[in-house]
Amino acid sequence: MEKKSIFLYDDIGNSYKRKNKYLLELYTLNAQMQEADSNGKKVIRNQIQKLKSNKKDHPYNIAHDTFKKEEKNFLSALNAKTKVYKSEMDTSGSRKLRALKTDLFKAKEKVDFYKKYVELSYDAELQYEQSKIEMTYLPEIIDLLIVTRQELNAAYEAKKKIDRDKEQIAKKNYSELKQIEQKRFLEGKVKLKEKKKSGLISEKALRNGIIELKAKRKETNTLNSYNIETKSVKELIKNKKYVLTKGIKLKLKILKSNLSDVRRKTPIETGKTVPFYSFLTILIPGIGQLLNKQYFKALLFSLVTLFIYFIAIPYALGYGNYQGDGISGLLSLAKDGKKIDKSLIFMIEGIVAVFLVLITIALYALSFNDVLKTEKNIIRGIRPRNWFETVSKIEQEGFPYMVSAPALLLTIFIVLVPITTAILLSFTGMDPQNQSKFGWVGIENYRLIALGQGLAGSVFWSILSWTLIWTVVATSLAIATGFFLAILANNDRIKGKTFFRVVYLLPWAVPAFITIMFFSIMFSPNGALTTVIYDLFNIQVQVKNDATLSRITLIFLQTWLGSSYVFLLSTGVLQAIPGDLYEAAQIDGATAWQKLKRITLPIVLFQTAPLLVGQYTFNFNNFSIIYLFNGGGPFNPSKYGNLAGSTDLLISYIYKLTMENQYQSIGAAITIVISMGLMLFAFIGFKNSKAFKEERL
Amino acid sequence: MKWFKKKNKLYLSDKQPLSTLGMIGLALSYVVLIAWVIAILWPLFQMVVSAFNGKQEQYLMLNDNFEFSFEHFKYLFSETLYLTWVKNTIFIAASTAILTLTIVSFTGFAYSRYRFKGRKASLMAIMLIQTIPTFAGITAYFTMHSIIGSLAPWFSRQMMLILIYSGGGIAGNTFILKGYIDSISTELDDAARIDGCSSMQVYRLIIMPIAKPMLAIIALWSFIGPFMDYLLPRVLLTNPKSFTLAAGLFTLISDFRTLNQPAFAAGGLLTAVPIVILFIVLQKQLVSGLAQGSVKG
Repeated sequence: MEKKSIFLYDDIGNSYKRKNKYLLELYTLNAQMQEADSNGKKVIRNQIQKLKSNKKDHPYNIAHDTFKKEEKNFLSALNAKTKVYKSEMDTSGSRKLRALKTDLFKAKEKVDFYKKYVELSYDAELQYEQSKIEMTYLPEIIDLLIVTRQELNAAYEAKKKIDRDKEQIAKKNYSELKQIEQKRFLEGKVKLKEKKKSGLISEKALRNGIIELKAKRKETNTLNSYNIETKSVKELIKNKKYVLTKGIKLKLKILKSNLSDVRRKTPIETGKTVPFYSFLTILIPGIGQLLNKQYFKALLFSLVTLFIYFIAIPYALGYGNYQGDGISGLLSLAKDGKKIDKSLIFMIEGIVAVFLVLITIALYALSFNDVLKTEKNIIRGIRPRNWFETVSKIEQEGFPYMVSAPALLLTIFIVLVPITTAILLSFTGMDPQNQSKFGWVGIENYRLIALGQGLAGSVFWSILSWTLIWTVVATSLAIATGFFLAILANNDRIKGKTFFRVVYLLPWAVPAFITIMFFSIMFSPNGALTTVIYDLFNIQVQVKNDATLSRITLIFLQTWLGSSYVFLLSTGVLQAIPGDLYEAAQIDGATAWQKLKRITLPIVLFQTAPLLVGQYTFNFNNFSIIYLFNGGGPFNPSKYGNLAGSTDLLISYIYKLTMENQYQSIGAAITIVISMGLMLFAFIGFKNSKAFKEERL
Repeated sequence: MKWFKKKNKLYLSDKQPLSTLGMIGLALSYVVLIAWVIAILWPLFQMVVSAFNGKQEQYLMLNDNFEFSFEHFKYLFSETLYLTWVKNTIFIAASTAILTLTIVSFTGFAYSRYRFKGRKASLMAIMLIQTIPTFAGITAYFTMHSIIGSLAPWFSRQMMLILIYSGGGIAGNTFILKGYIDSISTELDDAARIDGCSSMQVYRLIIMPIAKPMLAIIALWSFIGPFMDYLLPRVLLTNPKSFTLAAGLFTLISDFRTLNQPAFAAGGLLTAVPIVILFIVLQKQLVSGLAQGSVKG
């Protein structure tokens, strides 16, 4: 299917003969030249040259030119004729009716004119065929319109003439019929109930039977109600109105899709061989579509152009910014700016500008590809889509993009921009001394963290190690406890399962911040738990002042909180394990321990693994429990400096760095480090997941 | 009486009779289960008791004096902004749920039913991005709010919070819903399309009604989220009048000016009860919703 083919093709690859004899001759020679030997090539080249220089005198081109001229004359004459036709038409019909009649008139004229040129050009053929289709469909629609309009008017007349006495009688009749129907319904119900009592039918059958009777009653009532004239006329008017709007619309839609069918089957012919429009108009989306005669699309893309040249690019260059300076603000970070200029604002606006530019590039690519594809299709012989086809194509293929657009925008501005800010911030020197103005410092922050130096970096490694211990121990303990309890409670011989399940649900259901805060109160020096421990063991424990005790308490508290969720999950899975597995094992002589190890554990673990992994990441970032229990304390300046306490996790340490002590950039650096770790963790987990392996994404 | 005796003699269960060891095991199971029940109920019981105990002062203590009173509840309603916090939280939670549901119902449908360019890559990307803690963007959220707020003064911090909650929920919930819609047969769509339904109609008339259970779960989780979260409200909201429950109740135990621990217990109780009831009624759906999202992925 090379560019200079002697055939034309449509969407699905059907080939058509060229009607343009000049091009046909030219391309045939071209094709011959490729096969000929060197001598032959020379001859053919001469022939081509001759043909090209005499392009205007080629008989086909002359004929085509006259066709074009006559078409022009015809169209202007047609316009005049249409005007006359319109003025002579009676104005009683609706505007829609008149428009349809005009269309029909035009189609008739066109058929007569284009018939003569069908063999000459595909454009003429298309016009001819389309007009023919219009001639077959339009009269039908017009008739429908007229008839329905008449019927509607008749219905309105009937409504006016309704006899009130007759109406009263009809209403009376209706209510009598209604009572009869009600009686019948009640009788049927009684009969069904008797059947149920004598055990012939089940409870469900009874219920269904009653529903059936009710439906029957409703149906008969509606049917009877149409004997009342007001009601029936009202219904008739509603019906006719529907036909006038939706019915006609549907018919027109069918006509349109038939027309576009012809359009698909009639190729287009052009002398163009290089799709240059797309390259010429790459910078102004909309113009290329205009040149391809796709006006609706051109309108859509001109909106894109407006966005690019009036919003995105000016913003990126620094116009219309709140305070920043577009992309260049990202480099300068308000270094020599005014006193009120803030580096952070410059950075964020710079990032927004970058995202706008990225969107712009994507839009350019979209427009360019669209024009290029259309142009290439035209060269092959495929007609560009018209308005009707474009809309339906967008409706089908563009749907996922259109409905995901809000999500994408929200994700860009609420997730991506802040994350990018955090990444960039980790390369700057934003600290308490440099709040409003700061500069780039390269990887200094990461170096401080890695080497464990500086005010903020020095405690990183010790906090990290506690965070890891916390994550592994607290989560594993919660999982083990929850699973253990689930197995115990799922034993057949245990009574009161519902009670246990409801109670075990509580730690999960009560909002965690409430329980944590309450435990925090209970562990305070005069708190309830402290008192209980004193009464029982006669020891005065100061949990909140002792690092090790605090840590142990936190781990138990998380076990208390987290086991509930694992319990529920495992219970769900346990109940779904088929009992015959255990029976088979029993017959083969397995002990209880073997059953647990070989059947229960693997199934439960396999099914809940992703969620259990989620529990680990959740605890890694479990800010609430640490911060709400004791604010990360007790404090131990000799080991953890002035910023962190001995139970602080990385996440609460970051909170203290950024929110309480304004070491934003080093906080950002730590955030990035742990995010990378978590992402790697998630990626490995995700890659091993069932969905990913089965390519079901 | 005779009948009972008969039953005692005959062993009618289809389970094997318990051996002595089994008896001990069963007893031990009961001991452990009941111990854990006590471990769970005792602290919660303490909370309920202190909320209703008129003898408690500013600090909660374990004492034998108990006098039933609604004093702390009265304090909660008259002296603190508890009702405002409830209103704020419900507003934020409901807006989050609606926004999340609107967006996610579309993306879940699109990701399940269409094979478009960049689909797999974007799925992978959102999977990874959602592991980054929301906290990472906190510095930016602050400044972004001040930028937007100066351009559009009506854009409150609560709205920022709603956007953050919904934006953060898109990825995970899209995944869950996509998994659910995947399990709906595509023959239904095809039939609808043959009958002339547009994509929008397939979404509205076919998929959404079938996916209702999962949509309900997503709405519920999005609604509960703001009730449970403490970090973001604490950071973003500065005015006590705009606090959510979590941030507000914390002031009752952390701030010396407003310290009143029994009132906190009362407020916590009032907050917890509706949520607990919700969880107990819907526990099956809530758990299965979680499991579905992860297993189907």
